[in-house]
Amino acid sequence: MKPHHQDTFSQEIIKNALVAIGDEMFEAMARSSMSPIIYEVLDYSVGLTDRNGDLIAQGNGTTVFLGMIDALVKHIIEKFGANDDIHPGDVFISNDPYFGTHLSDVALAKPIFFNDALVGFAVNKAHWVDVGGMVPGSFTPSSTEIFQEGLQIPTMKVIDRGSTLQSVLELISVNIRMPKESIGDLWAGVAANNVGAERLTRLYEKYGVEAMDTAMTGLLDYGEKMIAAELKKLPNGVYEAEDWIDDDGHGDTPLRVCVRVEVSDDKFTVDFTGSAPQALGPINHGRTALVAAVRTIFKALTNPQIPANGGCFRAMEVICPEKTIFTAERPAPVSTYWETMLYAEDLIWKAMAEHLPDRLTAGHVLSVCAFILSAKHPETDEDVILVQPLVGGWGAMQHKDGLNGQFSVADGETYNIPVEIQEARYGVRVKQYALHNEDGGEGKHRGGKGVYLDYEVLCDEANFSGSFGRFKFPPWGAAGGAKGSSNYVELIRADAKGGEREIYGKPSQVKMRKGDVVRCVTATGGGWGNPFERSEEALKDDVQNGYVTPDQAARLYRRPRAAE
Amino acid sequence: MRVATDVGGTFTDLVCVDDNGIRIAKSDTTPPNFEQGVMNVVELGGIDPSDVSDFVHGTTVVINALLSRRGAKTALITTQGFRDVLEIARGNRPDLFNFAFDKPAPFVPRYLRRELVERLDYLGRVVEPVNLDGLDAIVGDFKTDGVEAVAISFLHAYVNPVHELAVEARIKELWPEVSVIASHKVCGEWREYERTSTAVLSAYVHPLAKDYLASLDDKMSARGLSSKPLIMRSNGGVATVDGARNDPISMVESGPASGVLGAAALGRQIGAPNLIALDIGGTTAKTALIEDGSAKITTTYKIEWNRTNPGYPIKTPVVDLVEIGNGGGSIAWVDKGDRLHVGPQSAGSQPGPAAYGRGGDSVTTTDANLVLGRINPDLFLGGAQKPDWESVDRAFAKLEDKLGEKKEDIARGVIRIANANMINALKLVSLNRGYDPRDFALIAFGGGGAMHAVALAEELMTPKVIIPVNSSVFSAWGMLMCDLRRDFLKTDVKVLEASACAAIEEGYQSLEAHARETCLEEGMPEDALRLERLADMRYAGQEHTVKISLPSGAMTTSTLEGISKNFHAAHKREYTFELDAPIELVNFHTVVFADVDKKPLPVLPTTGRALEEAHKGRRKVDFDDCGVHDADIYDLALFEPGMALVGPAVLEDPTATVVVSPGKRVEMDAYGNLHIDMRAS
Repeated sequence: MKPHHQDTFSQEIIKNALVAIGDEMFEAMARSSMSPIIYEVLDYSVGLTDRNGDLIAQGNGTTVFLGMIDALVKHIIEKFGANDDIHPGDVFISNDPYFGTHLSDVALAKPIFFNDALVGFAVNKAHWVDVGGMVPGSFTPSSTEIFQEGLQIPTMKVIDRGSTLQSVLELISVNIRMPKESIGDLWAGVAANNVGAERLTRLYEKYGVEAMDTAMTGLLDYGEKMIAAELKKLPNGVYEAEDWIDDDGHGDTPLRVCVRVEVSDDKFTVDFTGSAPQALGPINHGRTALVAAVRTIFKALTNPQIPANGGCFRAMEVICPEKTIFTAERPAPVSTYWETMLYAEDLIWKAMAEHLPDRLTAGHVLSVCAFILSAKHPETDEDVILVQPLVGGWGAMQHKDGLNGQFSVADGETYNIPVEIQEARYGVRVKQYALHNEDGGEGKHRGGKGVYLDYEVLCDEANFSGSFGRFKFPPWGAAGGAKGSSNYVELIRADAKGGEREIYGKPSQVKMRKGDVVRCVTATGGGWGNPFERSEEALKDDVQNGYVTPDQAARLYRRPRAAE
Repeated sequence: MRVATDVGGTFTDLVCVDDNGIRIAKSDTTPPNFEQGVMNVVELGGIDPSDVSDFVHGTTVVINALLSRRGAKTALITTQGFRDVLEIARGNRPDLFNFAFDKPAPFVPRYLRRELVERLDYLGRVVEPVNLDGLDAIVGDFKTDGVEAVAISFLHAYVNPVHELAVEARIKELWPEVSVIASHKVCGEWREYERTSTAVLSAYVHPLAKDYLASLDDKMSARGLSSKPLIMRSNGGVATVDGARNDPISMVESGPASGVLGAAALGRQIGAPNLIALDIGGTTAKTALIEDGSAKITTTYKIEWNRTNPGYPIKTPVVDLVEIGNGGGSIAWVDKGDRLHVGPQSAGSQPGPAAYGRGGDSVTTTDANLVLGRINPDLFLGGAQKPDWESVDRAFAKLEDKLGEKKEDIARGVIRIANANMINALKLVSLNRGYDPRDFALIAFGGGGAMHAVALAEELMTPKVIIPVNSSVFSAWGMLMCDLRRDFLKTDVKVLEASACAAIEEGYQSLEAHARETCLEEGMPEDALRLERLADMRYAGQEHTVKISLPSGAMTTSTLEGISKNFHAAHKREYTFELDAPIELVNFHTVVFADVDKKPLPVLPTTGRALEEAHKGRRKVDFDDCGVHDADIYDLALFEPGMALVGPAVLEDPTATVVVSPGKRVEMDAYGNLHIDMRAS
């Protein structure tokens, strides 16, 4: 007879319960948050680590945080554990972007104790609508150093052995533009962590330390084993890709990025050597974000289904020199980090797509296309900041058309904000939210459609900023499919007298007046296969449904008649 | 005589209550002509419809049409610039790491989604009047394309339906026979995608539901039924036929709702107002929490929603329940990391569990229960057939190879994992919402409820288990305990402060006037109408709301204070904290009830039979953590009120198996319900 609760099935049950804790924390956070960016966009993540900081369970709204939770806890252990300064009732706070993403993402971590011994951490990381800095919303294409991007909160305590450090809260409150919402979100994060801590403690009470330790180790090993089985199925070899990032917001020069992927039976190595050096503008990110990006695509390539934990990534190695745009260091600006982080994923994707056609699509919208519209509510005269990512087109696959109007791979369980709520809360008017028909993405299978989202400003003056990567370099096609269309922003002025169109890839604090319309345009994804091979039936259906205009059908999907 | 018929996936159940007590009958469900199965079971039950005072009916016809995509060819008319809202949906991708994700396809293809020029602002003011000029041509196209149902969904129609009403009226003029659903009539809440989806799915099932209800009505009245049937809704109430036809989507989850409402009604009768209801069927298990004798109703329902699929929202009031893919037919399987899982795939009734011997080659929960001695092989499938042990052994052999464990250990593992899955669901409706299961009794029914309940209660630490009389057809009985009910919700955000009193009162009064009018039109009896006020409330700035019950009577500053207090407490219970922030009322929610003449459970006659007479013998039964015991086996059919015993024991009849762990005491109450005291051991 095995020791109590060490049998296979008890272990399975504990593991399931651990994974369920991540889900519960996730739910608790969404329900109690004060900001749409959290409760609608779900731009946050929660997780549980063991006492060493290894990821046990994670609840995700987006993919970008896969790797952040454990990195933060390891940093806490390093900084505070060494001085024996981790106690029951503590809550740590941090927005250090070089261990994460950008300053807007604020993490809270709670050490969990059982019988006075540290057994793990409950963590969440969420996008605060504003953390101060040079522009409302705190991200901008125009910063050149981290100090312009908001309040930096090094990893520190916000609650010390159960007592809230009011001075810390006060310091934070006066440095941010929406303290009411953000401090509310802080409490939501604390609540979510409390749920995780409470549930984990209960499991310890029920099963005891030994069985729990075995289960946690077993869960990590299980993650490794599941991934290893799939890794063996990937075609061994070396795959390479290169691409170009539009610019860094401070000039017009494209930046080259590249990857070399080496797949063997038990190792997945990616090397970004040769990619552009750390940039002046805020498109940089730190090494933690690079690892998170590679983790995401690695999971997609191997086993997308199993719950992620630290064991899943043991076979993965990431190589990149220091001080590139993928491995930037303080005080490099990072506020639009996702543009570059996504390139890291997309490069591997591009290198592998045609070799793994059942798992990967052609290039997709890629950019999160996040924007900030700061305005006054015309009915209530309140200052409002609308921050939202946008849906766009996904690439086609070997056997199907791409998805229309879907969030970038960076996002996941991310929801667009309903037009009715946007209009009520922000006092803007949405003129259309529709799939568009710009050229791009033609193929035997079509790229998914991007969207037009038009806002009319109803107050006297407003400001618009955003970062729409793949403005100059649209999503790539695969296997002979056409590349997609571009992400961009177009200002349509109320008093326009014709002439040149006002188009931006990285609009920064663009002034708008009453009656002006800003059109946010997202990319159509890349096509797969030669468009001339698209079947008559599919093309007829496209035209009937208006996904392809009759002109496009003749011009892009059928061979031109030979000139007479 | 009152009769309920409940059309399920496999069987159509009948429960009949009259002065002589309760009768039950079961016959096969007969898709796609479900009403045929109903007529069959009525005949089988020996019911003469002319003796029936109330005929209550629950049907899966709506959910089946949705899940099997057999509804009407549906078109949609939207505000100009927004026809793609239905297709873009919310853009979410719950299957985060799957880059080959499939987005759910819209129920209306793009060429049947048309736009009209019209615009309201968020306060409901007309920015651009609706232009009906294009409508005739659109309707012409729809006719040519063979459209059978039309949904209309305009922005902000929940605030002001004027444009939707104009378009609806014109379509009815142009094309009286087509089904038309305007979004504000099926959903009074904001969020255009969810409301559009609700309208589209309502239109999609409307023709079918209309025909079905008409046919049921005709056939029953031809057989002598003098009253109109009452139709079970997902909100835990019943509807008139007219009410169900106007809002067919409200029938989407009628089966589970009636079980939960039955549990609440039974609880009120036997003095157990706080219950966790658990219904274990063949494919799924459903659970809901009942507090102070009533279940919660929400409008956050989605079909086909799961961990990898965003599903389709239907904002109709549905009993707040959690459903998981764990039932008697759930399949046990081993993944590549050698972990054992149970469900959500089910062997269904074809081929069914391995023991059916119909070619099912996978171990199911039922097979595991057989191997562990919990199910009596002689009563297998109601005693109609012996288990096919060879087939069971073959199925287990596959798992034995993979896991390197013995058959009995695997069977125990299957049950424990199935139980753990159900425990997680039970926690979702209790602990996760801030309720302590120790304050509740677990009431278990459905085919598998009685078998698993005691083990689950032990883990959940509920002090008591209740197995209701006729537990396998309990949902059908529940329908007889439901009043007429219709819910009306309307989003209208108001800050909860003294100065808003009059506006809030006015909001309720206008919603109530509309509610009353609608209900009377749909044939609810005027003198029996009873209105209740609920509100979805939140802290200003939050999105997610908490449902609060409001006192009756005019709104005053002191009632407002009471409401605030209740909200703070409910928020704290559900989310662990309260805020010193303004409170907003987001949705006005009015419930209209009309009480029907319900009969409580009758007292069972007793013969004075001794307990020993119900004793059938002993057999070896595996009680998991509590070990393997020679358990006393009792014939449930011979059990009488007042009889009591202490486990290890199994009480069984052809429809139910009650597993009582060692040391637990079970007693039958005057109505035939079994009460198992979990504290004794």
